[in-house]
Amino acid sequence: MDGPLKELSKLEKLTANASGKGKVTISDSLDSLLQSLREARDAIQPGTVSPDLLLQLSQTVEVKKKEVDDRQKEIYNSISRLGKALDKKFPAVLPSYPDVFTSSTSVTALERTIALHFLRTGQFDTASVFLQEAGLNIPAESRAQFIDLHRILQALRNQDIGPALGWVAKNRNFLRDRGSPLEFHLHRSQYIRLLLSTHPPNVMGALAYTREHMGPFYAENEDECKRLSGCMAYLPLSRLQTSPYADLASPSLHFDLEPLFAKEYCASLGMSRQVPLRVVGDIGGGGALSRIEKGRKVMRERKSEWSQADELPIEIPLPPENRYHSIFACPVSKEQSTEANPPMMMGCGHVVTKDSLHKLSKPGGYDPLDRRVKCPYCPAESTHSSALRVYF
Amino acid sequence: MSKKLNVDGILLFEQPFARVPFENYRKVFRTTQRHVERDLKAVQSTTADLVKQSSSTGVSSEAAIQSIDAMISTVENLKRKLSELHETAGNPTQDVIRERLQHLATVENIPTANDPEFGRWADTRLDRWLVDWALRNGKEKTARMIAKEKHIETLVDIDLFSDIKRIEGALSRHSCTEALAWCSENKTALRKMKSTLEFDLRLQEYIELARAGRRQEAIDYSKKYLVSWQETHLDQIQQALALLAVRPDTSYGRYKRLYDPTRWPNLIKSFRLAIYSLNTLPTEPLLHLSLYAGLASLKLPACYSHATKNVDCPVCDGEAGSGSQGLGKLAEEVPYSHHANSTIVCYITGKIMDADNMPMAFPDNGYVYSRGVCPSDVYFSVSMLTAAKAMEEMSLKNDGMVTCPRSKATCKFSALRRVYIS
Repeated sequence: MDGPLKELSKLEKLTANASGKGKVTISDSLDSLLQSLREARDAIQPGTVSPDLLLQLSQTVEVKKKEVDDRQKEIYNSISRLGKALDKKFPAVLPSYPDVFTSSTSVTALERTIALHFLRTGQFDTASVFLQEAGLNIPAESRAQFIDLHRILQALRNQDIGPALGWVAKNRNFLRDRGSPLEFHLHRSQYIRLLLSTHPPNVMGALAYTREHMGPFYAENEDECKRLSGCMAYLPLSRLQTSPYADLASPSLHFDLEPLFAKEYCASLGMSRQVPLRVVGDIGGGGALSRIEKGRKVMRERKSEWSQADELPIEIPLPPENRYHSIFACPVSKEQSTEANPPMMMGCGHVVTKDSLHKLSKPGGYDPLDRRVKCPYCPAESTHSSALRVYF
Repeated sequence: MSKKLNVDGILLFEQPFARVPFENYRKVFRTTQRHVERDLKAVQSTTADLVKQSSSTGVSSEAAIQSIDAMISTVENLKRKLSELHETAGNPTQDVIRERLQHLATVENIPTANDPEFGRWADTRLDRWLVDWALRNGKEKTARMIAKEKHIETLVDIDLFSDIKRIEGALSRHSCTEALAWCSENKTALRKMKSTLEFDLRLQEYIELARAGRRQEAIDYSKKYLVSWQETHLDQIQQALALLAVRPDTSYGRYKRLYDPTRWPNLIKSFRLAIYSLNTLPTEPLLHLSLYAGLASLKLPACYSHATKNVDCPVCDGEAGSGSQGLGKLAEEVPYSHHANSTIVCYITGKIMDADNMPMAFPDNGYVYSRGVCPSDVYFSVSMLTAAKAMEEMSLKNDGMVTCPRSKATCKFSALRRVYIS
């Protein structure tokens, strides 16, 4: 933004009311015009006014008007330069997709998404204004769930794990099936707090806490539990920070409870771990749209439609955290696997699609399944029938 | 893992963000210019008259003093108007331009998308898009609420959209006055865009006179406002003149079309198009454009198959059975993403499998999972958000046995087969 900012600074200087060094501002010119007018008025004697005086005044007016006009022209030019700097900074115009998301089902879907976004991000006042304006109804029950989520998160922020544990107790089966560490991490945070929050360290309190709450986790987290007791040898905090247990002194042990809790809470409601509008918006607004437009432009210039109209003409690179599904593209045929043409692992462990496997089989043998297949990627040869359908 | 920001891709969305206050400033300047021209020209001609008069009949001192007093008050007024305009409009608008340019400069200087600064920037961007969306969809209260709660009043264009609403409201009440005033404010820019909005509005006012049977007024109006367009709109003007001979209830095609009341909604559309394009605003909400591109980048056939749905994927947001009611519904309108290479994502950890994180297949049923992190790393990743255990860790906890979470099949870790994806 250096270009436009520089032009803006010049414009600001040019239009500033305070007169700068050397430069005559419009207000200076008008002041001096006023002065001339007043002087002329004072110079007038009773009777007929001398033509010279009026002529002089008229000339002064011309001069001052020209001064003002020149200054205005300078400002005008400065504005144009700022405009050009903006043009240069933004060479591309946004495309237009006039019919996208205009059907009534799409409008409702988007409104619903936005309403949930407000609720999920804790903007409850905005959400209720929006729901009213959109005439939309989100069941009170699911609204209450979000309010509950933010209440619990707020408590975590205030170092109170009570509400979180209350929720955990009601969802223990769900968490166990997911193999979630949430409950253990909540207790671990509390335990470390007990250890470090007082001077001298409250070892007895912490030990009592483990006895009361952490027993059931010992089997699953044996090593971690040993470390939790082992770290007592390095108290207080300043020593712990330079010990082999430094990770237990890290504040992230407590801060990370919030995202972890939000993630589990949302998962229990069938919602994603990241805020979906942010995820999609960041991808779309972070280069995807410009790439799609470039791809389309190339296609238009070549006057060729891309073969599949319902697929983008180019690949949009995605960061690892946004890869939600496995994609298997056959290294032989370059085609994506489908249910009808699934990925098959040969004896050597290399994977190709079923169609490619058929094509690679050597002729011979009565049963096609007995045919041998030479892997195109390693020297191994195996039978067609030994190939295993894999599920990613 | 650092990924550099695609600044060009980000800035593609931001032209209107910078352009709207710039156009506002241009408008302030034009108002200034009008005052300067009118008032100084008046002073100029007064003095010229005085000079002329004094050379012919002479000017009395009373008359001269009266004239000069009038000029003094004109110039004083001009000075006051200019400084007021600068204080209330010029200066604040410059500040908005500066704030927005600086907001964009921030994102140019953020090194990677993982930077927390970018997270905050992108949050604000989403809020801005939501305000833009709300304003375009007649949800003004929501827009104002977001702007206020997030303190982004200077980063959104509520005033512009209130203007649009006001002018469109007038058009829907069949009044062209407000829209014509806007046209005259933006005459040069509209001419540059080759917009015919002004002619269309003038024509409509003429048609309304014809409809009301006020023929003489219609003729006068056409002479005053339509004739000047004859170079480009001769046909339409001739048609319009002939309209006076036709009653409004005519069934004759071309005149029926001129009398057609649906011309009004079309005028609203043309006006909207003109004001958007003047400010380089896209015709659709910015949110639509970013969602279109984002959803298309993510959409895969796997999003629509029950077995491969992923709750974290924004496209797979449908509730089981009832179908999607959110982003997945919108995604039906966009193309699928395109992939030339394989990416294998672990069902358990959600991490991408590669040579460092080998895919391992259950020998009997072919379900594939990642081998997972080495146990020595586990202790130090306290911030790991998932304890979901991939194969190796699972086996360490279960005497070398691993269980497939989908098929519940069990086998020894050592019996898993390595999978090679080329």
